[in-house]
Order: sequence, then C-alpha cells, then structure tokens
Amino acid sequence: MSIQNSILQATNLSLGYQKGSRSNVIAAHISFSLEKGKLTCLLGPNGVGKSTLIKTILGQIPALKYQVYLDKKPTNSISIKDLSKKIAVVLTEKINSANLTVKQVVSLGRIPHTGWLGNLSVADQQKIDVAIQSTHINYIENRPMSELSDGQLQKVMIARALAQDCEILILDEPTAHLDLINRFEIMHLLRDIARNKNKAVLVVTHDLDIAIDTADEFWLMQCGLPLVCGSPEDLILQGKIDLLLPNDRLYFDKSDGKVQDSEEFQYPHIDGPEYMVKWVKLALRKNKINPEGKSISIKTEGKQTYFYLSLGKQTLKFESIASCLDHLNLVKN
Amino acid sequence: MKNKHTYFLFLTGMLVCLLLFAVNLASGSVLIPIQEVAGRFIGGEFSKSSWETIVIGYRIPKAFTAILAGIGLSLSGLQMQTFFRNPLAGPYVLGISSGAGLGVALLIMAGSAFGWSMYSGGLGIWAVVFSATLGSVLVLLLMSLTAWKVKDSMTLLIVGLMFGSAVSALISVLSYFSGADQLKMFTIWSMGSLGGTQPDQLIAFLVAVLLGLVPLLVNLKSFNAMLLGEAYAESMGVNVHRLRWAMIVSTGILAGSVTAFCGPIAFIGIAVPHMARLVFKTGDHRVLFPASALIGAAVLLACDTISQLPGSAQTLPINAVTSLVGAPMVIWLILRRNFSKEF
Repeated sequence: MSIQNSILQATNLSLGYQKGSRSNVIAAHISFSLEKGKLTCLLGPNGVGKSTLIKTILGQIPALKYQVYLDKKPTNSISIKDLSKKIAVVLTEKINSANLTVKQVVSLGRIPHTGWLGNLSVADQQKIDVAIQSTHINYIENRPMSELSDGQLQKVMIARALAQDCEILILDEPTAHLDLINRFEIMHLLRDIARNKNKAVLVVTHDLDIAIDTADEFWLMQCGLPLVCGSPEDLILQGKIDLLLPNDRLYFDKSDGKVQDSEEFQYPHIDGPEYMVKWVKLALRKNKINPEGKSISIKTEGKQTYFYLSLGKQTLKFESIASCLDHLNLVKN
Repeated sequence: MKNKHTYFLFLTGMLVCLLLFAVNLASGSVLIPIQEVAGRFIGGEFSKSSWETIVIGYRIPKAFTAILAGIGLSLSGLQMQTFFRNPLAGPYVLGISSGAGLGVALLIMAGSAFGWSMYSGGLGIWAVVFSATLGSVLVLLLMSLTAWKVKDSMTLLIVGLMFGSAVSALISVLSYFSGADQLKMFTIWSMGSLGGTQPDQLIAFLVAVLLGLVPLLVNLKSFNAMLLGEAYAESMGVNVHRLRWAMIVSTGILAGSVTAFCGPIAFIGIAVPHMARLVFKTGDHRVLFPASALIGAAVLLACDTISQLPGSAQTLPINAVTSLVGAPMVIWLILRRNFSKEF
C-alpha cells in the first residue's frame, strides 16, 4: 500500500447503532485504507454490515469506536457540505423523478459547487459534459428518466456522481438487477474511472466473478471477523477468498476462479478435447448421474460433434449432451 | 435548464393571469363592461361613479386576495410534495387548516358566550384572523416538536395527518354542543371567502405571504436535490433536517395565513403543483416554483369569477367551486398525460 495515494483510512473501527446507552455492535476491528486510482470491491454476505460501513464513512451514523479519517481529518468533524465535495455516491435507492431528463439529473451533481440558485457556470457545464461522455450516455442525454432501462439508469447515476467531481466515489451494489453485459460494462467503466481520473472507487458488490476480473483491491467482510484487505489474486492464492463462503458445502476453485460444490463426485471415463470434457462433467454433476462402468467419448465428424456412450458391449451415438443424459436417466430408473 | 419554450409558457401564463384579473374585476352581481375596467387602469374614468366604489373598494382587494391565496397555497403544496416525495401531499396535510379551524370554532362558539359576534363591526374579522392564526401556529408548534423528535419524513407525514384528524374531532365536539347560529357562522367560515379582506388586512396578508416565501427562496437548490430522495440530497450537502424545518415554517406561514384570511380553500394546494409539472414538463424547482405561483393565482382568480355566477346576484362558496371546477380539470389532465409515471 502506498501512503501518498491513500485518501480514506480507519484503524480498528467499530460499527453499529447506538440506542440510548446500549450499543448494538454490527462489526468490529475494521481497518482499511482506500487508495486513489484503484477500484476497490467490498464483498460479504447480506447483513454483515456493508451498508453500515458505507453509512459510517459518509458520516450518516457515528462510529462506535475510533474514526474514519479523510485527508487526516475525522469524517464526523467535516460538515456534510464539505463532505459532499469529497465523496460522491451511487445508492440503491430508486429514482422516480420521471419529469427530469438525463442531463438534468447529471447536472444535479453540481449542486455542492453552485451558488444558492444553482445556476451552472461554463466550467460546471463542461464537467457535466465530461461526465456524460465518460459514461457513454450522450445518446440518451435528452430522454426523460422514465424511459430508461435499468442499465442506462445506473450509468446516469454514475454520471451524476462523476459530475459531483469528488476524489472518492462510493457505489452500493451498482450492478444488482442488471444483465450480464451491463454488469460487465459498469464494472469496467468504474475501473476506467478509477484509472484515468485517479479517483478512489469503492464498490459494494455480490458479483464475485466480475469483481475478480476488474478490482485492484478486495475488502472481505465476514461476521465477527476483522476486515480482510488485499488484491483479489493474493487473496485467492492465500485461500482467504473462502471467507465469503459460509460453510463447507461450497469451495472456491483456485484454478477455475469459480465457486464449486465441495461434494465428492466420481466421473466416468470421458474421452475427448479438454474443453468439451469439462462441460460434459458439469452436466453429469448437475444431474447427479454417475454411470458406473460406462464411458463416454466425444468425437467431431465434420461440423457435427457426437457423443458415444459405451455400455460394455453396446455403444450408443448421441447428437447432444442433453439426449445422452436423457438416455442415462432412463437407464438409471 | 430554462429554454425558449419555458419563457413562452411564462409569458402566456402572465397574459392569462392579467386577462383573468380583468374579467374578475368586471364580473359580479353588477356586471361592468371589461373595456371600462381596462380604461380605468390606463387612466380613464368609469362612466358610473358607483362602479368606482365597487371595483376599487371591493373587487380589487378581492382579486388581490385571490392572487395571494393562490400563490400561497400552491407554493406550500409544491414544497410538501417534493419534500415528502408524495404526490398526495398538500398544504393541509400537517393539520394546519384544522388548527386554524379549531381556533375559529373556539372563537365563534366560546365567544358567543361573551356576547361576541362575527358581525360586530370591523373588529370581528381581525378576531377571526387572529384566532385562526393562533390555531395554526399551535398545530405548527406541535409539528415542529415532532419534526425535532422524529427522523423519518414519512412518520412526520402520518403524525401530521393524525393531528389533523384529532383537531377535526375536537371541532366536531364543539359543533355538537353549539347553537344553530354559531354553527351556521362556523360553517360559512369553513366554506371560505375571498371577499372579507379590507385593504389593511390585505397588507398584513401580503407581508405574511412574502415572509413565507423567504425560507423557500433560501432553499431553492435543496428542493432540486430532494428530487433524488433524502439520501442523495444529503450526499450532495443538503442538510435535510434544516430543510424540513424551513418547509414546516414556510408552509405554516403560507397556508396558515391563507386559512386565516380566507378560510380553508381546498384543492389548490394539492392540484396546482401537478398542473405546473404537466404544463411545464419539468422537475426543476427554479421553474416549478414560479410556475406554480402563476398557475395558482390564475386558477383561484378563475374560480372566484365562476363563484360570482356571472349575470346573477348569487354567489357560491369558493371552497366548493375550487373542487367542483378543479377536480374534473385535474382528472382530465391526468388521464390525458398518463400521469402515474410523472412526479
């Protein structure tokens, strides 16, 4: 960790809610350092206190013990006006201002920087245009918010946060409810923003696959344990990524980069190209079919691939994995 | 965010307002030709001296009252709707009119025990204004206390509705025990009237409305931030707690003074902001606030003209006319523009 790039730090932080004299600790021993120019992903199961951590960073709820420091100052000593020039957010809250156009919503991001009437200067306009350009939403600039898809909506909210022009960008589950392509696009967009604009980007997400592909830094949160920080690659090799998995039923496959069922499974002998064998295995495993004493071989003849199932003396030929499985299911019963 | 279309709409709105103002002055139980009214304004004189008394002494104060009340009600409605993110919020949801009603009910029903009557000279109207103000201030204080204790805005809205219901119930109890004369007096007050304001009261009303505008103007930008919800507003440096106080004070003064001087006037506060959004097609409060004020003034002027039943000596209660005329209009607007999505 380089010291000069660190913008937000905390040591041994305790999070939770204060109710009268009783305090309800949600997470303790939280230490972190958020760095500029890096995409950091905060991962952890639901209810572990990710949102509480975000709220504490934003100064919306006080920390129970110790402080979050922004530029060497505790965040709760910074007025929300000054904080709004340092940290911009994208929240999970739904926006239902159908009468606003995309550009108007992005312009709202300039509110902390404008006078009492909120009139935009030329410099403000430029920042808005840059935000719109870097999120690639020029083509919907004048559309009302009610006509946008979920993916477009999320990009607009990111553009609004960019227009706020802060060093820190915090996003709470920006890829929830989005399709695969949009999830990829948004995470890569955030990575570009962190890189090109030298911003500290903190993303709460549940998308482990995409997070591994895009993040520079992982913060893993698990009930009752200190926050684990490190690059995703290191955490995988150290086996610390398993912290995200609640029990032994699942494990993280270090070679595949995927979460797998840890149940032992015996495969029959399968012949063929490696990448094809992999998918046949997956199909067998999902259907819990283990054809003992049988073997499968995959052969490509011309443009067509065939699956040969040998049952001792007899060999059957199938055109697809599905039809092969159907037969095996029939035999099993 | 303003463009030519917006300016055109404002200009049209102002012309419509001016026209309605002239028509309002011309119509009544005595019909004065509109060209005479227009002539009087550019320095001419009325052909009948009695018209001078009618227009200057009665109709002009009434028209200005309508304008002020329209502005006050629609602006407090717009603030409420934006702050609570609720299209059904209006200036009276925090129990302000019920509070004023309680004040007046106490005055009329308890006052009669001391030989006071609404018709006992000029003091009568001031007494009504005073007690209505006192009643709404009382409810406002209770609401402020709640706002100080309660963090969630939706809770505040519910508490406000409950206050309103409780106060209305108190009025019912008072009505039950009061005589027929007092009951009629109170009922007439609760139907609203724009014609009761004399010039000195009009000045007091104007000062109150201007005062109520101050918290709103100071927080204009914050209302735009509130369009994205409280959490986003806070992340953009808006002190939501302070904004809530400003809103309560502003709507309290605006809606409270309207109720004090004109009695409760339904519909305007809740419907005009929607009309402004539909006509100006924007969510920007720098446009919506003046637009709502303009439309509010125009609608109340039009309603007052209708309530005079042009060509007849009869008048209808303004509170009934606003809803009778306005409700179908809003329903038509909503159905035509697929309203459910728009806020």
